[in-house]
Amino acid sequence: MARSPAATDPAATRAAIAAHRFGFGEASLAVVGTDAQGWLLAQIGPADAQRGDRLPTLAEGVYSHAQFQLNQRRRAARPTAGPLAGSSDMRSGEQQFADHFRDHVQADLRAHLATVATSTRPFAERLALFWANHFTVSMAKANTRALVGAFEREAVRPHIAGRFETLLRAAVTHGAMLRYLDNDQSAGPNSRVVMQRARRAQADGDGRPRITGLNENLAREVLELHTLGAASKAYTQADVTAFAAVLTGWRLPPRVAATGQPPGDDPLALFDPGWHEPGPKTLLGKRYPEGPQALDAVLHDLVRHPATARFVAGKLARHLVADEPPPALVDRLAAAFQRSEGDLPTVYRELVAAPEAWASAPVKLKTPAEFVVSTARLLGLGEQPFVRVPDGSVGTMGQRIQAAPSPAGWPDRAQDWLGPDAVWKRIEWATRVADRLGRQIDARALARASLGPLLSETTAIQIDRAADGPQALALLLMAPEFQRR
Amino acid sequence: MSTLYRRRFVQSLLGTVALGPAATLTLAAATPTSPRRLVLVLLRGGLDGLGAVPAVGDPSFAEARGALGRYASPVLPLTGPFALHPSLGELHAMFGRGEAAVVHATGLPYRERSHFDAQQVLESGGSQPHQLMTGWLARALSASGQRGLAIQTAVPLVLRGPGQIDTWAPSVLPEPSMDLVARLERLYGADPALAQALARARGLRQDAEMGAMASAGMPVPAGGRNAVAGLARKAGEFIAKPGGPQVAVLEMNGWDTHANQAAPQGALANNLRTLDASLAALREVLAAPEADGAWARTVVVVVTEFGREVAINGTLGTDHGTGGAAFVLGGAVRGGHVVADWPGLARAERFEGRDLRITTDLRALLRHVLHDHLQLASTTLDRDIFPGSAGLKSLDLIHS
Repeated sequence: MARSPAATDPAATRAAIAAHRFGFGEASLAVVGTDAQGWLLAQIGPADAQRGDRLPTLAEGVYSHAQFQLNQRRRAARPTAGPLAGSSDMRSGEQQFADHFRDHVQADLRAHLATVATSTRPFAERLALFWANHFTVSMAKANTRALVGAFEREAVRPHIAGRFETLLRAAVTHGAMLRYLDNDQSAGPNSRVVMQRARRAQADGDGRPRITGLNENLAREVLELHTLGAASKAYTQADVTAFAAVLTGWRLPPRVAATGQPPGDDPLALFDPGWHEPGPKTLLGKRYPEGPQALDAVLHDLVRHPATARFVAGKLARHLVADEPPPALVDRLAAAFQRSEGDLPTVYRELVAAPEAWASAPVKLKTPAEFVVSTARLLGLGEQPFVRVPDGSVGTMGQRIQAAPSPAGWPDRAQDWLGPDAVWKRIEWATRVADRLGRQIDARALARASLGPLLSETTAIQIDRAADGPQALALLLMAPEFQRR
Repeated sequence: MSTLYRRRFVQSLLGTVALGPAATLTLAAATPTSPRRLVLVLLRGGLDGLGAVPAVGDPSFAEARGALGRYASPVLPLTGPFALHPSLGELHAMFGRGEAAVVHATGLPYRERSHFDAQQVLESGGSQPHQLMTGWLARALSASGQRGLAIQTAVPLVLRGPGQIDTWAPSVLPEPSMDLVARLERLYGADPALAQALARARGLRQDAEMGAMASAGMPVPAGGRNAVAGLARKAGEFIAKPGGPQVAVLEMNGWDTHANQAAPQGALANNLRTLDASLAALREVLAAPEADGAWARTVVVVVTEFGREVAINGTLGTDHGTGGAAFVLGGAVRGGHVVADWPGLARAERFEGRDLRITTDLRALLRHVLHDHLQLASTTLDRDIFPGSAGLKSLDLIHS
């Protein structure tokens, strides 16, 4: 790709890479200054509080679910005929459900996007989004509707620059995760609660009780998606089952749903011994005692497993460097992770220092969410795009924010975002934005100020030759340099 | 033809000339394209199989279903104890013509009640959630070298995997100008991935517009009640084209009828009406003279992730169950009957005392269609498409 003469200025190139690849773009590279690495390192730390008023907590979200169920029961209890008939509500169950949670969900979406769009620490925001995706909780599953924002704020954002072990524990034991991956329903086959229910079902002659034993969902995903990685082959089905037994008892106390009161700061507030499987468990060749402390011990050991270091290093490198990251870089990041026993700032510093991360050709395709927030930052729109449309139209481009299709989260390779319709929808969205704003903005000057030496000569010429202001802006937004980072 | 459509038509023609052959759909596939077509309709949320296909002749039906067993208008008789919901008149007509069949008491190997996990199994073709991470239809298309199309912006799991999958969805936004698109093509000269996506998108848009004119210029509604039928029509137009995609996947949401299910204007009746209209629209497009006999070469499979409990719940609806119903239709289908090893609805016959018992693995139907219609080898099906399904019973629903 032809480059403008300014490409010879290495400091300017590094500033542009820092702004776009490590952050979400800037209207002017003056924000970064001359020390791009220093600008990034200064941002390492816990993520800032999200932008927004009265954002729902986990306890409020859970309480809201209990309220919905109560309303449903009341609706059903109404007479179905006569003057007080309850059938006037013709909304489908899904519609009623969506309406009930709409305010919470919209506040969460808006906070998620507006915070990134306005942050002065965009590298920290990128890391927060990376970890929220690594530990996906998705409202694609109905029982976590309105809980995903609380998960990001409570379990992820405070812990992105501490030890991986702290982040892992906060994510795995957060009420939203326990619900999302069914640990709420998982009981030890020999636990008190299963024994009691079996006796009761037998006495009632009412078929099988609904809760009979383990649900392996959370155990499997922690090993497969959060720590060791499926490709490592470092664990067996027996390890999954044993880990599921360790995890029994970790569930949201019913009183949170009943009162909306937070579970409290006690680390054992979420542990219910009545659901816990008695006896020791053997996982990855090591014996863990009965009780809540076993989970901490297992997570402690998982963090120190070489497969975890490799898996996390590979994902970070894929997110920040290339869809298929250089193996030598992954090796160095994994070594930093292992040496520091999972100290995340140590790993981030290794990444910022890596020459591979500063290659000037932008290779990572932005996700729809990244495209929208980087456009907002480029045009200085602040949180305005998310006021009326809380998801900023990201959903129409194929990414439903906070509703990833599976616990694996959003994919991090360009091919997954390059469906023809998805690209067409980006053009349509860019056209609409450009039609509204393109007349007030000099896209040529903006392209140079934002992209600096990364602006190719081809793109600069196309923008110069655009028929009018809106077309020039649409070309800038859809240019490879802006679609990629 | 309205002025609007004539203008678009001229633009499309000019666009094709300017763009060259790389952008047209027809030249993309390396393997010779097969004339056989498949439309997969995914009903998300869990269709109540006993609501859509009531077993009115089962001695336990009336008692087991209570208010759910009483319909506002007469049910439409099929064969044996079975009937169709009154909202499925078009499907009933196809059944009468021998173009549609029902598979009942069917379901996945998955026996839990999570939508999320059940849909993962339905689309991946595994025997438990997250055992396989790609889609069975993607693997099938990759094995046969054919192409698929998802009628939505993102690729659903069933089509995610090794092959080339196109996506198409109607827009609520105004179309970008052809001038802008031409300039973007120049801009993407050094970015082949973006250039290819743009070229394919443009080709699909043109096909969609020309298809719209063939069906008397009916635009696709972007939302509202008939949107799904419009999408079905589009799916038909795409696959009817010579060299078009072999497979199209359509989705319909909203089948999770926990409440007010039996109301004549409730969610189930409305959804079934929409489904019925969509299937009729597909047939109309594919059986039209300009479709060159596409209907005779087509199988449409309508499936859902699980059925619902037999009994009514406390909110006049039904909760998640296991066994349910699936539909198979098309000119290539040997229809007119209900395939069911009927387990009965008495409480003792139900799975866990609650659900219609699964007696036909849904994968047996999907295998059958891939084997006898799309002509995939049994060994490929056993190994790559539905691992662990080799012993399933064989069905006979496709004209040889």
